[in-house]
Amino acid sequence: MTTTRKPFSKDILHIENIETVCNEIISKLKTDVAKKLQRRGAVIGISGGIDSSVCMALSAKAFGPNKVTAIMLPEQDSSGDSRMLAEKLAAKFDVTDTIVEDITKALDGFGCYQRRDDAIGRVITNFDPLVDKAKIEIKQDAASNLPPAFSVTVIKPNGDVISKLLPVKEYLQIVASTNFKQRSRMSMLYYHAERLHYAVIGTPNKHEVEQGFFVKHGDGGADVMPIGHLYKTQVYQLASHLGVPQEIIDRTPTTDTYTAEQTQEDFFYQMPFEQMDLIWYGWENDYPADEVAKVMDRTSQDIENIYKNFERKKKTTEYLRMRPIF
Amino acid sequence: MQTETIIKTKVKNYIIESTFDDIEKLKDDTLIFEEGILDSMGLLFLIEFLQEEFNLTTSDEELVVENFQSINNIIAFIESKM
Repeated sequence: MTTTRKPFSKDILHIENIETVCNEIISKLKTDVAKKLQRRGAVIGISGGIDSSVCMALSAKAFGPNKVTAIMLPEQDSSGDSRMLAEKLAAKFDVTDTIVEDITKALDGFGCYQRRDDAIGRVITNFDPLVDKAKIEIKQDAASNLPPAFSVTVIKPNGDVISKLLPVKEYLQIVASTNFKQRSRMSMLYYHAERLHYAVIGTPNKHEVEQGFFVKHGDGGADVMPIGHLYKTQVYQLASHLGVPQEIIDRTPTTDTYTAEQTQEDFFYQMPFEQMDLIWYGWENDYPADEVAKVMDRTSQDIENIYKNFERKKKTTEYLRMRPIF
Repeated sequence: MQTETIIKTKVKNYIIESTFDDIEKLKDDTLIFEEGILDSMGLLFLIEFLQEEFNLTTSDEELVVENFQSINNIIAFIESKM
């Protein structure tokens, strides 16, 4: 039997029947939480980002706004906009049980900031954490045939930028330190979930789950992940349909983890979402590189290299998705 | 000055010891990232090894496939920096 599939196009990920898709997710969310997990509502961490906003909107529709507890978890490096947008979101979906849990002191107790800043200071010796801003980023193009390596970038108050390739010890220490943030948030979400007998709603989308852009036992620690199967552009489509505030939709996705502004593209994905979604779809559905290249206006070799990059990321991050082995 | 043979042995031994791979799998022209012998963390540890063993610093600009894709390429990169 021969099967035909759609020719590759820029519209290939567009959801035609958005209402049906939303209803299916809402229905599954209800079943998963109430029947499988036997919990009576949802706790969700909201950051003012697109993924948590869509998850909160879906949860409010699934359980009713009075069975959803929305928790903002800022810390000293969080953007001020995050809290304002999160409050606006909760109000939009009539979620009144909103809690602000500032985790700065917990992070300070873990030594999160000190350990991170020590590592940065070993690479950029005149780094002053009190006034400088810092982030880590991948500078290579996704079409590079070499695995990515991270650089640390420090921005001085006068605008001077210093950037250096991170030695492995410092890279690992920076990542391990900042991962306290996601893990502390997870602990707090479970505190409230257990207090209320609710489930924790995880917010990663398909790319985060499959490319490993999450912290194991951090933002990867949740009971259900309602958008874990959706591409980022589809999450945006749901956001518009569900009525997520426009400021959230228009905001560039950031990690909200480092003191310097850091987009998710700089930090991890190495290309804009609109391109990544389509090329990822092409890769996982075995579209030939030359067919994808024509549509994406790139060379076949570029697409081949990006396919390899995806394959590598998925393989390298398998550890994050694995349960304990016994 | 270390000879090419000594450098090659050190690099090969390092990769074999750090990956627990079979030495037979690693030829001088094996594409070590394409073959999955090293991954992105493996690349970072390799850069650290080059720094510690040969006092060789790698810059952002030198982080290209031509310098790291095989034992032969790594040796050429090391020699170009010595």
